Amino acid sequence: MFSLFIENFRISISAVLANKMRSLLTALGVVIGILAVTLMGTLISGLDKSFEKSMEFLGKDVIYIRKYEWFGDKEWWEMRNRPNIKIKHADVIRERSQYAEYVAPISEWYTSVKRADDDINGVRITGTTDTYAMISTAEIEKGRFFSKTENRSGSHVAIIGKDIADNLFENENALGETFQIGNYTFRVIGELEKQGKFLGMFSLDKQIIIPIGTHRRLFTRRGWSGINVKVDGTQLDNATEELTALMRQLRHVRPTEDDNFALNRQDPFKEQYSMIKLAIGGTGFFITVLSLVVGGIGIANIMFVTVKERTREIGTRKALGATPKMILMQFLMESITICLFGGLFGLALAWGGSLIINQYFPSEMPINLALTALGLSMLVGVISGLAPSYKAAKLDPIDALRYE
Amino acid sequence: MSLISLKDIYKIYNVGGEEVRALDGVNVTIKENEYLAIMGPSGSGKSTLMNMIGCLDTPTTGLYEFEGEMVNDMDDNQLASIRNRKIGFVFQTFNLLPKATAQHNVEIPLIYGNVRRDQRKSMAAAALESVGLGDRMHHKPNELSGGQRQRVAIARALVNNPSIILADEPTGNLDSKSGREIMEIFDALHEAGNTIILVTHEDYIAAHASRTIRLFDGKIKEDFSKVA
Repeated sequence: MFSLFIENFRISISAVLANKMRSLLTALGVVIGILAVTLMGTLISGLDKSFEKSMEFLGKDVIYIRKYEWFGDKEWWEMRNRPNIKIKHADVIRERSQYAEYVAPISEWYTSVKRADDDINGVRITGTTDTYAMISTAEIEKGRFFSKTENRSGSHVAIIGKDIADNLFENENALGETFQIGNYTFRVIGELEKQGKFLGMFSLDKQIIIPIGTHRRLFTRRGWSGINVKVDGTQLDNATEELTALMRQLRHVRPTEDDNFALNRQDPFKEQYSMIKLAIGGTGFFITVLSLVVGGIGIANIMFVTVKERTREIGTRKALGATPKMILMQFLMESITICLFGGLFGLALAWGGSLIINQYFPSEMPINLALTALGLSMLVGVISGLAPSYKAAKLDPIDALRYE
Repeated sequence: MSLISLKDIYKIYNVGGEEVRALDGVNVTIKENEYLAIMGPSGSGKSTLMNMIGCLDTPTTGLYEFEGEMVNDMDDNQLASIRNRKIGFVFQTFNLLPKATAQHNVEIPLIYGNVRRDQRKSMAAAALESVGLGDRMHHKPNELSGGQRQRVAIARALVNNPSIILADEPTGNLDSKSGREIMEIFDALHEAGNTIILVTHEDYIAAHASRTIRLFDGKIKEDFSKVA
């Protein structure tokens, strides 16, 4: 039976190669289907990776007390009228909250930094306390975080992100060196590890962290502020409830009034993300199924044509001793081969496409998905080849031999 | 013992409500190493008889015995198997696979017979040698003349060592010179002990055979054997 398999494969390959253009056009649906499913997979894998990393940055056990909600149905102009988050409330939360493990106030301002001839615009300057180091997931790669004393005394010390280090201190050891934030001179005491982009939107490495006292004195009047609270990850909901009550009390919100602040967490990101993922996956799936079905119909059609064209050959083969099953297998194999070629072609295109996607955000073509896709294209070959092959198998040898 | 025995064979078709008797009570016995020509005008049933003998078709009623096996009751697979092992077909239009070499064409019955590759190759080569095409084994049909193509087809019919060689107008598409060459091959095959059945409407082709059956309206009108 093995030699028959080889023979069938040989026939299939030569039939596909003899009609290259026709085979390619026939398999186009399969090509597009496989392309869609693998590219979608690649995209999702990349998104997953980027999302995981971004979520890692937020931390699943950190509550971000902010003026604005990250998600929700509140109008931004309503939230704009809320009072700003007061830095001093961080101390109260630290004292009064049972669930808060670490509390760090945050002030942010965007400005330019420079050193000698190099300057960078739009750098995020974060002012915070030494506690921030306990909350942030970003590791200090070189040097250290600032101390309590440095924080209190309002020292001009800075921990710089990777982008800043790379641009201002190219090939140099930045530690101990000075540079300008706005018009003020700061000394580098630490360098953060590379963190990449947040959800592919903005770089987390274009950041400088300085003591909050210094920050407030120099910039904050114009920036925004918030409080990051790290809690026990298992007590997130309790902590949220407690902090809401505490904040309402601190901000004198009356029982009948809505909260005029937001407690942001990473979980709504996850919900949003799974919806996006579902949408991408759904669309990809829809395109895949649609093109495979259309492709399958095209292949069935061309296989009927092939069977018709080769009726005499079928008759001859039957006269020479081919059983109906052998004929069935021959044409089934041909249909599968066309689909397999289509699948491989689609995979090759997808591989090229994934390289392009990879330029924009790190991703990889999932091997399992690629193999599944190939299996899928073979399945299309089987299904769409079945009816034409059956027709070929059932041909009456006498009629087939007589066919002109 | 007879090789082929057809008893009271009827093949009846229904064409538009009308009964057509393609074979109308045919009785034939064919012995080993016979050289038989089946003749008759078109519509006489000679093609039907040939298909019947070639196990491409089964009778409506009657008994067909091939080397002691009852062909009547066989299903498609059994018919395919008996065609593969015991019958070598030679067609008027050669019916070679255009994309395959001569050798590969000759291998086809062996592939269906599940013969091992190396054995297949040498058997096909030997069959092509025997029809004088040892130097054309790797040529494709379109690189061969008509006579050469028919010789490839004969090699293909021979390769399985069949009990009968069934040739349907084997010279019909050939010029007279090539036709003569082909007939010489059949004569030689007969000399070597093969059983050969020719279907033809040319008397000079039938003259090669030692026995001639003439059909008319589905009945055997004449069954004549030359005295050796």
